[in-house]
Amino acid sequence: MRTVLEGSHAVSEAVRLARVQVMSAYPITPQTHIVEALSEYCAAGTMDARFICVESEHSAMAAVIGASSGGVRTFTATSSQGLALMHELLHWASAARLPIVMAEVNRALAPGWNIWMDQTDSLAQRDTGWIQLYCEDGQEVFDTTLQAFRLAESVNLPVMVVLDAFFLSHTFEPVDVPDQETVDRFLPAFSPRISLDLSNPCAFGQMAGPAVYMEMRHDIQKAMQQVPARFEHIETEYAALFNRRYGPVEPVRCDDAEIIMVVTGTAASTCRQVISELRRQGEKVGMLKLRMFRPFPTDLIRRILGPARKVAVVDRNFSFGASGIFAQEIRAALCNRDGHPPVFGYIAGLGGRDVPPETLAQIYRMAKDSDGPEQESVWVGLRD
Amino acid sequence: MTKANESFQEVSIHISRSSMTTEVNKTGSWRFVRPKYDEKTAPCSAACPAGEDIARIEMLAGQGLFEAAVETVLLENPFPAVCGRVCFHPCENACNRAGLDAPVAIHSLERFLGDGAAGGGLRLSLDKLPDNGKKVCIVGSGPAGLAAAYFLTRLGYLCDVFEAGTEPGGLLRWGIPEYRLPASVLKHDIDRIENLGINIHCNTPVTRRFLKDAKQRYDAVFIGCGHGRSLQMGIAGEELASDGLGFLYHLRRGQISAAGGTAAVIGGGNAAVDVARSLVRLGTTVVLAYRRRRQDMPAFQSEVAMAVEEGVEIMELVAPVRIEADGGESVLTLQKMKVSPAQTGGGRARVVPDGETTRGLKVDRIFTAIGAEALEPWQLPPAENSQTLRMSHCTLTIKEQPMVFGGDLTNRLKSVTDAIASGKQAAMALDIFFKSGLEVIQERLSACLVGKGPALSMARYLGVGRTTRNSHIVLYDEINRDYFLPAARAAATRLDVDKRMQSVAQIEQTLTSTQVLEETGRCFNCGICNDCDNCRLFCPEIAVTLTGTRRQVNLDYCKGCGICVVECPRNAMALEEEP
Repeated sequence: MRTVLEGSHAVSEAVRLARVQVMSAYPITPQTHIVEALSEYCAAGTMDARFICVESEHSAMAAVIGASSGGVRTFTATSSQGLALMHELLHWASAARLPIVMAEVNRALAPGWNIWMDQTDSLAQRDTGWIQLYCEDGQEVFDTTLQAFRLAESVNLPVMVVLDAFFLSHTFEPVDVPDQETVDRFLPAFSPRISLDLSNPCAFGQMAGPAVYMEMRHDIQKAMQQVPARFEHIETEYAALFNRRYGPVEPVRCDDAEIIMVVTGTAASTCRQVISELRRQGEKVGMLKLRMFRPFPTDLIRRILGPARKVAVVDRNFSFGASGIFAQEIRAALCNRDGHPPVFGYIAGLGGRDVPPETLAQIYRMAKDSDGPEQESVWVGLRD
Repeated sequence: MTKANESFQEVSIHISRSSMTTEVNKTGSWRFVRPKYDEKTAPCSAACPAGEDIARIEMLAGQGLFEAAVETVLLENPFPAVCGRVCFHPCENACNRAGLDAPVAIHSLERFLGDGAAGGGLRLSLDKLPDNGKKVCIVGSGPAGLAAAYFLTRLGYLCDVFEAGTEPGGLLRWGIPEYRLPASVLKHDIDRIENLGINIHCNTPVTRRFLKDAKQRYDAVFIGCGHGRSLQMGIAGEELASDGLGFLYHLRRGQISAAGGTAAVIGGGNAAVDVARSLVRLGTTVVLAYRRRRQDMPAFQSEVAMAVEEGVEIMELVAPVRIEADGGESVLTLQKMKVSPAQTGGGRARVVPDGETTRGLKVDRIFTAIGAEALEPWQLPPAENSQTLRMSHCTLTIKEQPMVFGGDLTNRLKSVTDAIASGKQAAMALDIFFKSGLEVIQERLSACLVGKGPALSMARYLGVGRTTRNSHIVLYDEINRDYFLPAARAAATRLDVDKRMQSVAQIEQTLTSTQVLEETGRCFNCGICNDCDNCRLFCPEIAVTLTGTRRQVNLDYCKGCGICVVECPRNAMALEEEP
């Protein structure tokens, strides 16, 4: 059924339909609406789940780690400082191989206090062993959340579903919300491969010395390597039921493009409009939307970006002392390929600053007019 | 649909998990302190003269187990419907909940339970020990006498109660006005006592001679005569005043139906207030004259407040000097008093005449209610000697035969509930005496104290409950308040002041069962386990086991972290050092 939903509530609806059994969260703007709705579902009895109130995000993650270890489907959500506070336990969740799903609303880190869109919070967690999926609109948020449970449970790794603060979390859009029966066909009841057994109590997370630790880490990487194929299969099943598919990346008019702009999140929607306009003007431009960031879809990126003359990456994040993080990752993916295109990095829209079509068009022109990247990143639209 | 994972390589999950059971790791060896279930005494029950197990009663009522709740009351007090109306409820003053918002409405809850028991809807089982062949003569059927008979009967004695009046109840029947205690309510409580197998002989005044004969026929005697005669003021014209207690008596007999006019009531106790409020209901304008200050009045302050609400004027610091007739009216001359300059510290004020100042009060009638005394000297306890044991609420003498003196004539505090406590103490003291002798009474009674006493627990004496209850009285700071949110105290529906004036109807309604279930939810259940299960749920070692309703700490695994003790909302657990 098509219904008008706030982006946050697209997450909540998906979590309800996923029949999550235990949730725990601590409120933080702009994530709060997600768990607010979920706690109301629990209170009203429209969701048969336990919502554990906690005093911090660290405890929220600890609670879902505990519940997931117990063998139930779990969910949490956070943003910014909250995610930063969870950091230690993010490592725990992945190394304990728990299929936790978390909605993470991209918000800037303080100080100065800023509750608006910025990707540095989630990208700073890239090495924690979580799968990360970035969403463009409300429908994609809903679909990605449902897919996230299948993916997490398929490889026993936690998944972070990432959405832009306000531009997505607080924007109302029509969303197709399927019925429970169809969702159940896509996402059957959770059959855990890890669960506590009271009749055979054993210790979890014990000491693992030099003789075994490396193999355990390698195991996580092996699971990550299985993600692309499994995700493709999951998306195929999802498309068969719901007629929607996004892919880990989405190339738009890249086949003959000389310059390809790489974007993420809601900026992708703006960029679609910009490249249409530029194409009308005869520019050979394409766009690559990154949806999956971990595992990084290196093969697809090489294949799509390889033939282009230039690549322009728009980062709404920054790694101080280096560059935009997506640009860095793309450079790393391309560098071992002979004759790869130069990668131009642009920083825009930090801390909720708007990225209008003019900014993206400006970025395109800057890349086109430059012979080669003179610096790792160009900050676009800085005030004097 | 095909299963997602079929065509893929198995995902290996190589995590750090012990391959064998952790049960071999007896973490109990790390422990240097251990938790134990340690039920303690709730402040309400320690403050209750009858020592009722209020925390448990609240818990049972909250679970909707009204029969069990009433039976728990009846273990310690045979008069729940009466006390739910006339008790001065010191329990509520002691209630820990006051620290959070307001005390639990214990008094109203007791009335609800008492009325439920009277309504006949509850099936109560009142156990009696087998007949032990001993007979006790009870003199007086007031709350002390009936309580003594009740508890002795439950202990296996055969009791005959002798009452001079036409109906049982004593002060409850004749001294408390209908609007505070309806006769029908009293009858229900007394019927239940009588139905236990007690013979109440009304219209049978007891004399010295009767008592001499009783020695032949009974193994013991309980004297609970109460105050039979009002005190005199000793002022000129006293004969022009009416006796307040006599007025209340005639009112209850239905011999007074109208008054009107104006009246002065002399006194400051509950009887004076009862007289004043009864007169108000008969259309009389009343002045209550008291020699000390209003806050010094021995009457319950809530009763005084309601009297004022109903229009009684309180004239404080005036002492009666003389009464003179003036036509059909009387003139009461009052000496103005003041707090003695020698007064130091708090407490009841010492007053002295304030110079020569007097004032005249002209009214239609004057009533006195300044106190009362025993009617006959033999009703009073004997002086202490080697054959006499003076206890908190009664005196036992074995000089000629075992005799216990109780009730208002021995009690420091003249309340109904203290009278009941006196009957209970007498019953327990006699039972101990017959079984083990005079010398051990104090020691055995001490073992049955609620908290630090003086209230006694019959459940403890009989060994049917509260036997392991620690005498420590739970403090507010020992309650884990994280588990309690402020909530409004239940308020019984009250009759408007103007409606009160038109009848002798009770002022407050009994709480509804919905109100009771909500109100009992406010109770901390200080010191007792109410099966909340926190200890088991919070134990990180899963070392708390539950078998039926019995919880135990498995010391093989308990590390002594103390989380169970902290998370017990009501201090029903404790940590102790390893032995």
